[in-house]
Amino acid sequence: MLIRHETIEKNSILLLVLTLLTISVGGLVEVVPLFTIETTVEHVRGVRPYSPLESRGRDIYIREGCYTCHSQQVRALRDEVERYGHYSIAAESMYDHPFQWGSKRIGPDLARVGGKYSNDWHIAHMADPRSVVPESLMPRYAFLAANRLDTGDLTARLKAQKAVGVPYTDEQLAAAAADLRTQADPAADNTALLKRYPKAVTVPGGGPFVTELDALVAYLQVLGTMVDFADPANENLRQ
Amino acid sequence: MGIATGDVFVGVMTAVLGLIGLILASGAMDDGIYVFGLSLTGFAAVFVAGLIRSHYDRREKLRAEGWRHV
Amino acid sequence: MSDRAIAYNEDIVKKFVVASMFWGVVAFLVGVVLAAQLTWPALNLGLPFTNFGRLRPVHTSAAIFAFGGCALFGTSFHIVQRTCRARLFGGEALANFIFWGYQFFIVMAALSYVMGFSQGQEYAEPEWHLDLFLTLIWVLYAVVFIGTVMLREEPHIYVANWFFMAFILTVAVLHLCNNIAMPVSLYTAKSYNIAAGVQNAMIQWWYGHNAVGFFLTAGFLGMMYYFIPKAADRPVYSYRISIVHFWSLVFMYIWAGPHHLHWTALPDWTQTLGMAFSIMLWMPSWGGMINGIMTLSGAWDKLRTDPGLRFSVTAVGFYGMATFEGPVMSIRAVNALSHYTDWGIGHVHSGALGWVAFITFGAFYYLVPVLWKRERLYSTRLVSWHYWIATLGIVFYIAAMWVAGIMQGLMWRAYDNHGFLQYAFVESVAAVHPYYVIRLLGGLLFLSGMLIMVYNLIQTVRDPATARRGEAGGDLAMAKA
Repeated sequence: MLIRHETIEKNSILLLVLTLLTISVGGLVEVVPLFTIETTVEHVRGVRPYSPLESRGRDIYIREGCYTCHSQQVRALRDEVERYGHYSIAAESMYDHPFQWGSKRIGPDLARVGGKYSNDWHIAHMADPRSVVPESLMPRYAFLAANRLDTGDLTARLKAQKAVGVPYTDEQLAAAAADLRTQADPAADNTALLKRYPKAVTVPGGGPFVTELDALVAYLQVLGTMVDFADPANENLRQ
Repeated sequence: MGIATGDVFVGVMTAVLGLIGLILASGAMDDGIYVFGLSLTGFAAVFVAGLIRSHYDRREKLRAEGWRHV
Repeated sequence: MSDRAIAYNEDIVKKFVVASMFWGVVAFLVGVVLAAQLTWPALNLGLPFTNFGRLRPVHTSAAIFAFGGCALFGTSFHIVQRTCRARLFGGEALANFIFWGYQFFIVMAALSYVMGFSQGQEYAEPEWHLDLFLTLIWVLYAVVFIGTVMLREEPHIYVANWFFMAFILTVAVLHLCNNIAMPVSLYTAKSYNIAAGVQNAMIQWWYGHNAVGFFLTAGFLGMMYYFIPKAADRPVYSYRISIVHFWSLVFMYIWAGPHHLHWTALPDWTQTLGMAFSIMLWMPSWGGMINGIMTLSGAWDKLRTDPGLRFSVTAVGFYGMATFEGPVMSIRAVNALSHYTDWGIGHVHSGALGWVAFITFGAFYYLVPVLWKRERLYSTRLVSWHYWIATLGIVFYIAAMWVAGIMQGLMWRAYDNHGFLQYAFVESVAAVHPYYVIRLLGGLLFLSGMLIMVYNLIQTVRDPATARRGEAGGDLAMAKA
């Protein structure tokens, strides 16, 4: 073996090629089947692309680095299921580019935060987290309420997501700007919005323009609510 | 003394990067690309200036050492 | 090895050493700021660019890619020239472009995070345009490094260079695969990764764990395999272990990623594979550790006289500890407790501070007098001070994080007599406060040690007393560099 190793360590190209082959095995074995094995992502009812406002809220969630303190993944452990709700399934993040499962819980998991608190709670919490949770370590995000949500490239953003596999329909893309405004306006008729994006939560809005906070709250309120685990059609989720 | 091949290669590459930076900055639709594009152009300009300077520094050093035709 | 005949490019090594020291101070300083923010949240200031979420990637990128990266560039360029007895391939201009281009990348990346541009994937936060720029730098790095290896006068490629080549190659593969993304437009610094959900998670942690495995391990093992034998003036303990160490480490590390995703929606078979290989990885890691430490056999007395070497050897010790802790944490039952807690943060820092930073310190204490042609370091007493302050800092840091992490894990799963969860989440947040104060203290100690090192190395370059005998007054031109 040592004699043969001499030939490797005298030939840089051979060394490189063998190294490349060696590192390829593990990655290929672990990654490729996730794309090909059909049961990797469950077939469930309810998972839909994010509404335009939710999607913009998600962009802000990523921009502010929320994932550095919050996970979005309820593990299949008894205490987590009791604390946060049904364990997360792969289908729930199938349109998340990128995934936001996180790696650290400086704050609590957010995979099922949707519907847990009122819009008003979220608004107060973002303005000053310690006004509602005295022990909280979270920074204040009061500036979000003052920032106008940039919607100039809204359709381009949705189209980019469509290009990587989020199934936005032409109708959804065409109505994106209107849907965004509707979701931030409780007085508006949201029938069409709910048809396109079931369970989308209307946020108070109310200012002269749609704010970044409106978008973020809309996103938080839909987290973990898309799949109805009481629906018999959604049984047998585990592979 | 001619210009070193490595200098030419790196100089041209950097100039192209600087040009890309300008194009990005001119079309930028957000601060991220705008700042990056302008900075890239600035970086390229300063780096190429440094290349030119070091070229002449080398030449002067050789002259001082008594090489005539450099 | 006599290196008189060849005019090595030492200027580029010097530049990277200086940059690495500078970024080290920045990384540790931002780390201390973040630790303080977690202790007293008012320090976030509530401004977009000072909040924890945007600063945290600045800390991780500064530590891994700026401090660690510059150390790797610098030492690999030094080692490859010396062990191949060849001047750096590609000429000065190319080497300088790699240096300044990489610095430009670091500054742009940090700036983009605080401005709010992030891909939202840990340790892969730079957006697509920065990823492309980094790819260019990396390709040039590979060309220069491999080019130099090909120019070598020695028939054999030295073992340190195997590790550097594996590091350069694998990081390229990881970077390219994890960052395939669709930009909103060519003029927008926002993109969406091509993969989503579970596949994205797997690719990200395949990337993330091998950023540890190849950037922070293989590369720094290259350092170990050169500087420890050099400083101890002994050959590497076992050539056979080197071979086994190299191939088994390279093969097994790449599988370990899924242990970041235990109990999640990632399929069980993938989790099990990740766990199995993580545990097996313990063996090659300790093989390497033994090879590094045993290189000192017969030269243990040098530990008393050469405090720089003490850093290197302690680093290998911490490496052994972290590579034992890692496999333990990758066991699913342990991971159920440890994941998402501060235990993970403690584990990362015992690797980052104890292994990565210490092996770098050891290398630089050896390298600076060599590069700047000084007889000796300015003060070995200061090196000792640095050593003990930094070691104490690490001990404070990791001990605090162990306690905090295990406490969080236990509190999250505690049930009361009635079968209800005993604690609200926020009670676990309040409970770890004292440990966050201790962690902050540990970080401050580590930063102070670093500042001592910076002072010591600057004085080594400047003070005439360290000049080589026969060159009284020292080389003042060098001092300016």
